[in-house]
Amino acid sequence: MSEKVSSAAQAQMAEEPKLSPAELKKRAKAEKQARRAAQKEQEGAPAIPPPTANGVPHGQASQHDEVRQEKKAKIVQAKSVQQSKSSGSQESKGERVAPSSAQSLPARGKTTVAAKEEAKVDSTVVELLSHLYPIQRRANMSGVSKDVHPAVLALGLQISSYEICGSSARCIAMLHAFKEAIHAYTTPRDTSLPRHLVSHYLSPQIEYLRSCRPLAESMGNAIRWLKKLIIEIDPDKPEHEAKNLLSEEIDRFIHERIVVTDQAIAASASKQIREGSVVLTYAKSNIVQKTILQAHAQGTRFRVIVVDSRPLFEGKRLATSLMHAGLEVEYVPFSGLAHVVKDATLVLLGAHSMLSNGRLQSRIGTASVALRAHIADVPVIVCCESVKFAGKVALDSIVLNELAPPEELLLPPSHAPIVPTNTKDTPEAAESNKTKTLHDWASIPNLQLLNPMYDITPAEYIRMVICEYGSVPPSSVPVVHRLANEGM
Amino acid sequence: MPSAIPPPPPSLTTYLRSLEDTPLDKSITTLISLLKRRQIRSSRSCALATTKLLIAVVEAGSPDSSHNTWSSTSALITRIRQVGRKLISAQPKEIVIGNIVRRVLGVIREVADRDSETGNAADLSGSEISGPTSPVTGERSVLPMRLSEFSSRDVLSGRPGTADSIASSTFSAPMAGPPTQQQRPNLMNAPTGTSLFSILQHPQQNPSRSTSSPYATPPAGTQSPALRPSPTSKSTISNAEAGGESLDIKAEVLDGLAELLDELSVVDSQIAESALEHIHSGEVILTHGSSRTVQRFLLTAAGKKRKFTVFVAESYPNDHSATHDTLVNGAQPPVSPDDEGLGGEKGRWRGLTAAGVTVVLVPDMAVFALMPRVNKVLLSPHAVMANGSLLAAAGTEGICLAAKEHRVPVVVLAGVYKLSPVYPFDEEGMVEYGDPSKVVGFAEDGRFVDGVDIVNPLSDFVGAEGVGLYVTNLGGCAPSYLYRVVGDHYRGEDVDLGVEEAGSRV
Repeated sequence: MSEKVSSAAQAQMAEEPKLSPAELKKRAKAEKQARRAAQKEQEGAPAIPPPTANGVPHGQASQHDEVRQEKKAKIVQAKSVQQSKSSGSQESKGERVAPSSAQSLPARGKTTVAAKEEAKVDSTVVELLSHLYPIQRRANMSGVSKDVHPAVLALGLQISSYEICGSSARCIAMLHAFKEAIHAYTTPRDTSLPRHLVSHYLSPQIEYLRSCRPLAESMGNAIRWLKKLIIEIDPDKPEHEAKNLLSEEIDRFIHERIVVTDQAIAASASKQIREGSVVLTYAKSNIVQKTILQAHAQGTRFRVIVVDSRPLFEGKRLATSLMHAGLEVEYVPFSGLAHVVKDATLVLLGAHSMLSNGRLQSRIGTASVALRAHIADVPVIVCCESVKFAGKVALDSIVLNELAPPEELLLPPSHAPIVPTNTKDTPEAAESNKTKTLHDWASIPNLQLLNPMYDITPAEYIRMVICEYGSVPPSSVPVVHRLANEGM
Repeated sequence: MPSAIPPPPPSLTTYLRSLEDTPLDKSITTLISLLKRRQIRSSRSCALATTKLLIAVVEAGSPDSSHNTWSSTSALITRIRQVGRKLISAQPKEIVIGNIVRRVLGVIREVADRDSETGNAADLSGSEISGPTSPVTGERSVLPMRLSEFSSRDVLSGRPGTADSIASSTFSAPMAGPPTQQQRPNLMNAPTGTSLFSILQHPQQNPSRSTSSPYATPPAGTQSPALRPSPTSKSTISNAEAGGESLDIKAEVLDGLAELLDELSVVDSQIAESALEHIHSGEVILTHGSSRTVQRFLLTAAGKKRKFTVFVAESYPNDHSATHDTLVNGAQPPVSPDDEGLGGEKGRWRGLTAAGVTVVLVPDMAVFALMPRVNKVLLSPHAVMANGSLLAAAGTEGICLAAKEHRVPVVVLAGVYKLSPVYPFDEEGMVEYGDPSKVVGFAEDGRFVDGVDIVNPLSDFVGAEGVGLYVTNLGGCAPSYLYRVVGDHYRGEDVDLGVEEAGSRV
């Protein structure tokens, strides 16, 4: 018993040698249930303790059964706490709870400890945005279904770590990964490709991607298109022909709706950049980058102001690539917005999606940029492919949003110097363990960090939306959406 | 053997400590270099350092006299103007320096008015005042003839001569002669700013009731300390005719400056007195940066068991580490004038989180996204202009615009020492720029720094329409009222110091 207590996290491993095969089977079943409970915990459902009927190798009294089940529940919670919260203090809390709980006999004591741990975990949730929790990010592949193709696995981790960032990029990467997955797919004997592929093969891939990061609007539209395409395949078509067809259609989709569209939008928008313009843009949008480079290639002389955001600092990458192309670039942090809008003659913005009430969903901070430009009477132009147009509506930035892990807001310690005070004469003061840094935020009650990724810009601040159907006012977004995404 | 611990970097505390020992010229030069190198940064620190230095200037006495006294107020005024010009030129974008210099000049002029009243009987032409005033009880004040010359502090302080000195400049005064000498004690006890007629009527009324002026907003007891008369002034006035006037000037001016210093140390707690009127349970408040005034304000409300939520925008890249530190460990108390500088970690204020307030740290970009849920915005500026506009940390303009868009009231907490009489003709010229390496360091990405223009503005200028309410240490007021508060604290002849300052057109 004590051995099991000491190795709480690997409780299933620490075993006495004399066990019947039946008991081994019982243990395997308990492990599987614990894993499933851990998965559910990850998705935010409360951890259900495994049923009391099994998993007791020594045939002890029911009270000990309960003890064991509670310990398992704690282990499950400890595991899930470890997985979903990457901060170290939570981890240690989880581990600390499991062994100590097994030593105290009454089950009631443990549930309160569990409840307290839940409460502590929940106090990092900002109540206003509680509908956006739990935060979907993934650092490993535990609990993933075996059906997920390796290409999709890799893609998920790349998306989660922002290596692939930007809604067009993610959409293209996802479609390529699905192409590979479909290529590796074989239809089971008693069913046909159109009926089986979507629900039993594609769905786990999509679920996995969703657990890595909430899907972008472009990805959602592409998936809907793909599902519709698959279902409409003739069931009598041989498998290799169907797969080739799907492959070709996916390539065509990418080409028509993203690549060629980007070229068309860049050509159209670059006409807005005149000689002597000062173009202001925010964070990094691929389409805006293409527009600027095209205008530069056409020989127009203008300069660019890039306003950057935190914590992703995408604007810095845009500024670097424009600098390499030979443009005159001014780079300011977000606090410098008021200073640079005075000089701007045109604001070009990219989009995560355009909503059906004419609002723009884009990187957090875009709304402030558009508002400031609108007040200064600088035209705000949004470049957005129709694949990003959505049928959703939103009134403010809180209803539709994505939260990034708050730990991304923490700066590495070297960048956050100790605030110089009038007392730092003695080095001992600096080493005092009473001084906490923001890295200890999770252990401070009532302190929360919030890292929203998007905001919604009201339609009044946007002068024009340029898509492949032409330059339209924001109020025409639902018309284009119906045409492009639903009329297919 | 050299000490292993390096000497502390020059800062406000080291400067204040050194003021007593170093000769005056060296102190002035030290402060000028501290200001130029921006080793003294916040408004309050600059105000404190400037006040202390000017006190030292007054104490040192006239440069051309053998004792450390001042023969006349005009010499003192000239000297203060001279020193003030140097300080302002050291850091023209620090508005507060100019404010303090003008306040000091105002104190001196007040003393000068009092002395010219005691020394020159011809100035007493109180009977002329009865024209514009109603001969009612002593609770009514004189309507100012010219705003710049009217100083309600003189009215409220019950000093007998000032109203007369106004009249002396606007009307030609007949000689009143000997009767004034006998009336001297009555005038000192006279109620505020009334006509001579009512002075004769009510000789015994207590002049220290300060609620007389309908123009000043403060309730009794909360006016700026600099406006109240010093307790010793009455006795010194009576000695005035006996000679030794120069001693009076110095002592009286030092008294007035001591009150100014007092004001600087209590300004945060005075502002915090209004906290309960503005913060209630269940509210969501948005604030920006690590201002101590705001922390004190919020702590006062939290201390009265009001449960509210605060969103703090971290103000990257200039103030974010101070903001993080304040939220995690509690605010550092400000340096007080007689500080030994040993407050350290023990002296920190209680953190907002420890006081039961839910604090959410957000990046600055999230302000517009969260504004629909915010009830109030609380800000603390660097400086406030006479027309109600303000100069605050970079990013403030975005907050005020988002607040205006969502009809969220913006409350600005500012002590009166931050209020400047200068009109901001040149708004862009008031913005201070800071170190671009805070945005992208050269070691971090040298090629980028080389090829791209990096700009790091430190402050934003926000027009008066962006602000809903100013809460000063004298109480709350609308932006449109600020010009009157300016008139109460500064003299018109001090507005132009003969030096180019931020905001003035060249």
